[in-house]
Amino acid sequence: MTLLELEDVTASYGPVQVLDGVTLSVPENGAVGILGANGAGKTTTLRAISGTVRAGGRIVFDGKDIRGMRPDQVAAQGIAHVPEGRGTLGDLTVRENLMVGAYLRKDRKGIDEDVDYCLDLFPNLRERITSNASALSGGEQQMLAVSRGIMSKPRLMLLDEASLGLAPSTAKNVYDAIRRLRVESGIAMLVVEQNANLAFTLVDTATVLETGRNALTGSSAELKGMDEIRRAYLGG
Amino acid sequence: MKRHLGSRKAVGIAAASALALTVTACGGGNDAGRGGDAAEGAPSPGITDTSVTLGITTPLSGATAGPGTCTVAGVTAYMGMKNAEGGIEFGDGKTRTVEIEALDDTYDPQQAKANYDQLKDDVFAMTAGLGTPTNRAWLDAAIADEVPQVLIMTGDPIFSETEQSPWQLGFVPIYQNEGEAFGELLATSTEEHKVAILAQNDDYGEGYVEGFKSAIEGSDNIEIVDELTYEATDTSVDAQLTELANSEADIFFNAMSVTPLMISALQKAQQLGWTPSWFLPSNTSSPTAILEPGGAAAYPGIYSVSFSKAPQSPAFAEDEDVQTYLSALKDYGNYPDPPAFPHCQWSWMVGATLEQAFQNMEEPTRDSFMEALRSIEGYEAPLMLPDTSVSTGEDGQPAVSTVVVQKFNGRGYDTVETFE
Amino acid sequence: MARVMTAPASSPSSPSSSWRRRPWVRWATPLLIVAVLAVLPLVGTEFQNETLARIGVFAVAVLGLNVVMGYTGQVSLGQIFFLGFGAYVTAYGVSQDWNIVLVFVLACLLPAAAGLLVALAAARLGGLAIAMVTIALPIVGVPLAKRLNEYTGGSQGLSARFAESPEGSGLYDDQWTLYLVIAIGGVVFLLTHFLVRGKYGRAFAIVKGNENVAASMGISPYRYKVLAFTIASAIGGVSGFLYMLVIQYTSPETMSFGHSIELLAAMVIGGAASIVGSLLGGAFYVLVPQLTNQVDASLTALLQGAILLVVLFVLPGGLASLPRALTRGRRRLRAGRGPAAPPTTPSSTPGSGTAAEQPETERQGHA
Repeated sequence: MTLLELEDVTASYGPVQVLDGVTLSVPENGAVGILGANGAGKTTTLRAISGTVRAGGRIVFDGKDIRGMRPDQVAAQGIAHVPEGRGTLGDLTVRENLMVGAYLRKDRKGIDEDVDYCLDLFPNLRERITSNASALSGGEQQMLAVSRGIMSKPRLMLLDEASLGLAPSTAKNVYDAIRRLRVESGIAMLVVEQNANLAFTLVDTATVLETGRNALTGSSAELKGMDEIRRAYLGG
Repeated sequence: MKRHLGSRKAVGIAAASALALTVTACGGGNDAGRGGDAAEGAPSPGITDTSVTLGITTPLSGATAGPGTCTVAGVTAYMGMKNAEGGIEFGDGKTRTVEIEALDDTYDPQQAKANYDQLKDDVFAMTAGLGTPTNRAWLDAAIADEVPQVLIMTGDPIFSETEQSPWQLGFVPIYQNEGEAFGELLATSTEEHKVAILAQNDDYGEGYVEGFKSAIEGSDNIEIVDELTYEATDTSVDAQLTELANSEADIFFNAMSVTPLMISALQKAQQLGWTPSWFLPSNTSSPTAILEPGGAAAYPGIYSVSFSKAPQSPAFAEDEDVQTYLSALKDYGNYPDPPAFPHCQWSWMVGATLEQAFQNMEEPTRDSFMEALRSIEGYEAPLMLPDTSVSTGEDGQPAVSTVVVQKFNGRGYDTVETFE
Repeated sequence: MARVMTAPASSPSSPSSSWRRRPWVRWATPLLIVAVLAVLPLVGTEFQNETLARIGVFAVAVLGLNVVMGYTGQVSLGQIFFLGFGAYVTAYGVSQDWNIVLVFVLACLLPAAAGLLVALAAARLGGLAIAMVTIALPIVGVPLAKRLNEYTGGSQGLSARFAESPEGSGLYDDQWTLYLVIAIGGVVFLLTHFLVRGKYGRAFAIVKGNENVAASMGISPYRYKVLAFTIASAIGGVSGFLYMLVIQYTSPETMSFGHSIELLAAMVIGGAASIVGSLLGGAFYVLVPQLTNQVDASLTALLQGAILLVVLFVLPGGLASLPRALTRGRRRLRAGRGPAAPPTTPSSTPGSGTAAEQPETERQGHA
């Protein structure tokens, strides 16, 4: 059962064509990685889906064409975008940031449960629940950004460079928690990641982008084995 | 725990004292800082046996600070000079010095009202302030409080209508007076004249045009061939001038209050090859600030109106009035430079006019002051031009309603009797 | 280590907020405020009452600006237009002898409708473009007010007195006026307080914090910007009604662009995104010209500029941040004394100044 389907998606920033026909699909409960060098169009692909970048081609979510929708409309479909650089709201406390994620929800009880779940998933946040987000460490902010995504109760989560700027051990902690989230919640995931090894611990399949186009697609196991490709595209 | 009790007690005390204050305030009646009706003949606020205090609210900062500062400087200089001589002898036989409290309203009506509120209990009368909206803002309040708002610098006729404004009197001619004076001059001409009119689309422009038209009514030799308006905020009147130039009028009546627009209008008409005789309002007719940059020499005649001597003019260099005035302005008015705006002269005349009223008021009350002020007839205040005077008795007219028409002579203005 | 570093960040609020949480404080504080406000008009002199009423007018205007700018982060340079609009609606309605309640409602609704229209167009534009559109409001408003002289009285403006104290109340006009300002302004402040504390306020804060995040959470930045702008316009209209109540006169100068900038300065000085800050901003707007006039009437502009700069340098968060700045300053002072103390003042606990304090504040917090 396919949840998200991209077909020949294009996008440009002014005259610069950034996506030149990206095709991929994410199955229900699946996790798919987007790999590639800087400027290959990984982040733009996520933005095209979330509606923050105008895109061409076909983007279908749960049988519905979502291309051209406003970002808030896309979000309302059940897609949570955890952006690069986290985008936590520094003036708000950790709890308030979590509540931001639950903005569209009305089920008070469910919200409380999910807050508990997030704090359980990321125990660091529990200690900092009344701190302003600006006082958090980089790793904690990443945890908060993911948690905020969880709070919107999505069916699909778009994760952009969750390891960026984190110490290797922190990055591993974050990915461990996300993997646990995936298993326990069944949220489908589309994961952009520079660090291919880290990505492979989470995703089932991945596509490698090169100048805005699919260069290679395969299962994690297949791609992991391709030493040359790894060196060329994945920097590892 | 102790702190709790302490705070709670404090709250209780505060509430109790607040209540007590309420009771006293309610019972106190008329005396909570509000001037009720004073007994007959008792002195009004702002006046003692030895001094009287006047209030001014006027723009001292912002775009109109130049003329605004002058409105304070002139009267301050005049009263400073009088104080140095020992004061002014009032009609009740007492000699008083005159203090002036001036506040800046930045030409903001709200601030002007605030300034009035602040001053009203401390000053005997409000005077000399510049601006129509800034004076209108507290017109009703001054009437309600019975505080004189007199000899103020606005051409708005409302301040001179006794019925509507019993505690007010404007000083400078209303717009109608100026337009009328030029109309009367033109009516003396025996030749045929075609007149083009451009007027600011507000009460200012309308007042000028109304006065002008009333004066030429019945003069068959004068025909208005075209009449256009512009907005005070417009940055160009080129389109209007092009149309007016096509009327081939030989007289251009331009009721315009915006300095840069007036300069560009003088330049534009020349470019169009249209060289009529111009009429300019008194506040946009400065030889140095407007006529020179506008290239006014190209026109057969530039006319304006005035009632005060121009201190810079060579014609008045030896004039005794002017010399006294300039030295007092420097010594007492905190205004060392030669005055750049006629408002300095006007304000000086306000000082002299107030002195006239003071000399005739028999009781130290605002009522008596208003009565004395309204009884001045044909007073030739210092710096006034011949044939102009202060007359306060006529309803609907400001203190100065007579102006003389003057013609530009290349450097300054000369008074003219007939249109040539 | 991380534990130690976090402590100062989280603790500044704890002593005061726990104090605020005590039950008797919670009901006594609002009660005390109401009592003071009820008594205030009766004890002041006429000029004090007039000044307080004026502060009320501009506090409401600043509050409106705060909704769109302080809380939602959208630069608006046109707030004075809505004050002017409300004032004109009020003046016209009073001159036509309309029911005063109807006048009040119109003075809210018409500016709100104007604000809505502007916002629908402007909120699509990002950042500076909104500021540019809002600049146009007072610039268009002044000539418009002059031109529509059938309704506005042209450049001579409109007067309206409608706040004479009712017969038999025993109140002076200035007392009655101040009561009305307190009542109307108080309700507006209260409603705004609940608005910004509630769900909408949270959405405003998210839009202000990061529009992309807001959108990714299903919050349409466009819709909330329009909402904030419309509410700010309505509050501006209320301040215009109060303006007519207190100043009793309006003219095109009321909405001149310079006043819009002064309102903005007052908001920043008072404290952006702060209810108390709006009140302080209103006080600043009214009292500073009064003060500088007292010092030297010919230097008001210069002095006001100097005061503005000094306040912003000393308190970048505005006057509302003063208590926080004081606590922080005291804390820093004590913290500074800790390590630096031994050489100068041997009596203080060497080296452990901060550590020794930490448990103490904690204990206070739980008491």
